[in-house]
Amino acid sequence: MRTKTVIRLDSNESAGTDNRKPSKITRRTAMALSTLGIVELGRGTAMAASPDGQLTWAVHVSLAPTWFDPAETPGIITPFMIMYAMHDAMVKPMPGNAAEPCLAESWKAAPDKLSYEFTVRAGVKFHNGDPVTAEDVKFSFERYRGTSAAMLKARMKAVETPDARTVRFVLKEPWPDFLTFYSSATGAGWIVPKKYVEKVGDEQFKKAPVGAGPYRFVSFTPGVELVMEAFDGYWRKMPTVKRLVFRTVPEEGTRLAALKRGEVDMAYSIRGELAEDLRKTPGLTLKSVVIQAPFWLYFADQWDPKSPWHDQRVREAARLAIDYKAVSEALTLGYSPVTNSIIPDNFAFYWKPPAAVYNPAKAKELLAAAGHGRGFEAGDYYCDTSYANVAEAVINYLQVAGIRLRLRPLERAAFFSSYSQKKLKNVIQGASGAFGNAATRLEAFAVKGGAYTYGNYPDIDDLFAKQASELDEKKRTELLHRIQQIIHERSVYAPIWQLAFLNGVGKRVGESGLGLIKGHAYSAPYEDVTIKK
Amino acid sequence: MTVATPSLARGAPPGRFSLKKFRDFPMIPMLILLIIALVAIFADFLAPYDPQFGSLSQRYRPPAWQEGGSMAHLLGTDHVGRDVLSRLIFGARVSMIVGVTAVLVAGGIGTLLGILSGYLGGWVDQVIMRVADAWLALPALTFAIFLAAIVGPSELNIIIILGAVYWTRYARVIRGEVLSLKQREFVRLAIVAGCPKRLIMWRHILPNVINSAVVLGTLMLGVVIVTEAALSFLGVGVPPPKPAWGLMMADGKQGLMVGRWWLTVLPGTCIMLMVLSANLLGDWLRVKLDPQLRQL
Amino acid sequence: MKQYIIRRTGYSLLSLFLLSLTIFLFVRVTGDPTSLLLEPGASLEDIANLRRQFGLDQPLWLQYWLFVKSFLTGDLGLSFYYRTPVLDLYFERLPNSLLLAAVAMILSLVIGIPSGVLAAVHVGGFWDNAGKIFTLLGLSLPSFFIGLVLILIFTVYLGWLPSSGAGTAWHVVMPAFTLGWYFAAAHMRLTRSSMLEVLGSEYVKLARLKGLPEAMVVGKHAFKNALIPVITLAGINLVVMINVAVVVETVFAWPGIGRLLYEGITFRDFPIVQAVVVLGGSMIILVNLLVDILYAFIDPRIRLES
Repeated sequence: MRTKTVIRLDSNESAGTDNRKPSKITRRTAMALSTLGIVELGRGTAMAASPDGQLTWAVHVSLAPTWFDPAETPGIITPFMIMYAMHDAMVKPMPGNAAEPCLAESWKAAPDKLSYEFTVRAGVKFHNGDPVTAEDVKFSFERYRGTSAAMLKARMKAVETPDARTVRFVLKEPWPDFLTFYSSATGAGWIVPKKYVEKVGDEQFKKAPVGAGPYRFVSFTPGVELVMEAFDGYWRKMPTVKRLVFRTVPEEGTRLAALKRGEVDMAYSIRGELAEDLRKTPGLTLKSVVIQAPFWLYFADQWDPKSPWHDQRVREAARLAIDYKAVSEALTLGYSPVTNSIIPDNFAFYWKPPAAVYNPAKAKELLAAAGHGRGFEAGDYYCDTSYANVAEAVINYLQVAGIRLRLRPLERAAFFSSYSQKKLKNVIQGASGAFGNAATRLEAFAVKGGAYTYGNYPDIDDLFAKQASELDEKKRTELLHRIQQIIHERSVYAPIWQLAFLNGVGKRVGESGLGLIKGHAYSAPYEDVTIKK
Repeated sequence: MTVATPSLARGAPPGRFSLKKFRDFPMIPMLILLIIALVAIFADFLAPYDPQFGSLSQRYRPPAWQEGGSMAHLLGTDHVGRDVLSRLIFGARVSMIVGVTAVLVAGGIGTLLGILSGYLGGWVDQVIMRVADAWLALPALTFAIFLAAIVGPSELNIIIILGAVYWTRYARVIRGEVLSLKQREFVRLAIVAGCPKRLIMWRHILPNVINSAVVLGTLMLGVVIVTEAALSFLGVGVPPPKPAWGLMMADGKQGLMVGRWWLTVLPGTCIMLMVLSANLLGDWLRVKLDPQLRQL
Repeated sequence: MKQYIIRRTGYSLLSLFLLSLTIFLFVRVTGDPTSLLLEPGASLEDIANLRRQFGLDQPLWLQYWLFVKSFLTGDLGLSFYYRTPVLDLYFERLPNSLLLAAVAMILSLVIGIPSGVLAAVHVGGFWDNAGKIFTLLGLSLPSFFIGLVLILIFTVYLGWLPSSGAGTAWHVVMPAFTLGWYFAAAHMRLTRSSMLEVLGSEYVKLARLKGLPEAMVVGKHAFKNALIPVITLAGINLVVMINVAVVVETVFAWPGIGRLLYEGITFRDFPIVQAVVVLGGSMIILVNLLVDILYAFIDPRIRLES
């Protein structure tokens, strides 16, 4: 039932690991591997072998050249798949550390919290040989136009460069979240060479990007593949694999076939049945990574007094009627943890709710008490077509309890635009993988005026307004926890799971890099990826 | 009003039904189609289970004769534990309804516009043919996704999409037929005798193109059914959990790699039998009714 | 004649205008690209920023005008997803699409023509039925199924052919066969009936009367003449193939136009969808225009009538 890799990792740990909590395994995996990474770092520099061989990934999406330019970083995780290879950041999430100094050797915040001073690592070079300087850091920040760019810039008074290795970010007012935004949720801290960008321009930069990451750009064919080669001047360590190739293969059955034949060494996103087959295939390994994407049911009609969903007992019954564990087991081999929350468990201000309960008998009781002893017609159940399989399973459970819903799968674009335009009704199966923290998620999904909020509870709105102006971290946490608690108690949502991304790893791969960095969906850091000897 | 019926004209119009032509009748294909139609009609009595309901604990049961299979689910179960046999039986209904109605829609619109275009000529012809051009240029898939987004997914939607996509084929073929019919004497006589256009089209043109339309229809049935499956593969077909053969195949495609052959091979066989039968029947009809209609 | 050509060209431009307007409105009515390029729950500021970058904050008529203008100047704008010029993307994919279609066409003719000839020579016999059933099979199974079965056999079990992608001659085999088989039935049918017609003609009867050997009659005289309509149909189908290849391209990760369009649609990448549909449409409309003009030259009645 468990993968070889997991077993191997567990042997590094003295404590036994609970099989039934995949989320824990992942977290421990990350911890265990981070130690491995450090060990390897020492060994790598000692041996200083030159990089060799090639690893190929079968990627589920088409790679976009915008991902070669950190300035364009949108609020999704996919571009980081490429950025971890081609570029480097001042501070970025690394194994075992959500904010590890990289291009920055160190930093310190001023006592008044109004400025942050970074020291650029000595002797670091871009792929074209130019040194990384404070000017590049300033330029990259100012050039940045991706997610949260306007907010970052609005809060910034000035970016100063007293000397070639010092950068000072001066804020207009204290902002405790600055480092979070600079180091992880945006691309503002990822450094591009100023001289080169100014010489070739933005368009050309996307065609021939230059960065300070462990791998340099070789070639890109849109919709086909991206090729990168080890950069021998990378500061952290010499990569051990010579060439990385990312090949787009949209159909997942084809990805698995390519992995089996050895055309590729790793295949992203292998779901359900195929993952089972992968696990059974000798030589191949299944690696799961839990990403920051919870799935849920949203009872859109709960504010309408005429709707059966208005009755809290009905919503509770629905939550009790679904065997989330079995759904996760059936569709993601149990790797998607049932967190019972609409907030990802690695987010700041996350409140851990009580475990989800599957109790169909209680569900029936509650429905009977609400006057639906013989069940009732509950209307439509909307979902994104790509996750209709989750919906089919959930609907069957609800039907057993007596809640009869009609599945209405919508093509992805149509689903999300109708969802946000508040055109859907009855029950909505939603999900989000957006960056941020509990507050940003609540704002979009639970508070009055939110992009995906169909109705509101005044007490939640009040608490939310309070936390927004609360400067004390502890009090703010309390307020945000309280909101999550209310959402849980009132059954505003029925959270399903937090999605696990299942990937296949071929027999040539030593270290896949998958799951090394917590919450990161792809292989990273690439300089730690190895080919089996 | 009744001027110049075809029989008065020299040389009977082509391709009227006649019993003599029923030699080497394709018995087997006809039988298969008949069985599918009967299964579709009596699905409620034949299917052992609700085709849309299943339990996760029952999923991926193989067919009865395979190891791990049981008589409870003769042809096994799918990814949510629904009975495959029941889904195939109800799938016959969905496929028949979608296939036949879509062909009727496409045929209806196409024949009507083809006759108007071919007979009236002039600006009517130009407008219809130019719209058909623009239409042909809009790929079926593009159209399907957009329509699904506007109307919401449903069988009706798929029928509209397929009908809307394929009417141009009819329009072109029928228009060509009409152009040549216009040169025939019985039509010319009718015109000379002052018969109104509407009546000529209805009485003289339509009956003579109906054969082509029928032949084209049987051949199109296959195309429509297979297109429906392709739409399901791309996620814009008949919406789940409806039991449509194409959707069943698209849902079960992963199973191919894992040895769960029954999820794709069984609905695939149904589709194949239906399309093959429709085509063989169409081929036969084409030869018997309308030897001129070749380019299909 | 000159007048006819001018008028006919005018009508074609009308088709093109209809097409461009339809596609322009369709993409905009049915989804918002920002909701797909950003995760649900992204900040309103980010969404507004993206809309501004894409020019979606402009009034609709202005957007349409900019689209038409970009088309006339041959620029076509930047893709929302790739943020590179749409025209570059299009012409990078076009050779792949043409290659796939060409090989598939050759395969379909290689399957379709001989089985059609055999069927015509042995009407109602074994070869007639066997050929009919084999070619019809390609038409009666959804191509994603055929494709996956091929991958299962030739990649997973036998390990002979690469599963997906493009680059070597081996890569094109499975996608081209899948696509070609689908079209083989049409070519087989037409070859068969066309052969039958020619075999029944006075001219072939004469050749037989002259005492030529049957193989010669069939192979040389009949076959050559029967081939003309088949080639005409093949030409039309070549254009159709590029359009219907999307499923095959998805299964085999073949980087063609169909895939570009499909991704464009799923991401609501307006510039891509508009460009692919309008460029593809222009080709079809142009071909129809040329055919009509050609017919008008051959048959004067047509130009007199309209």
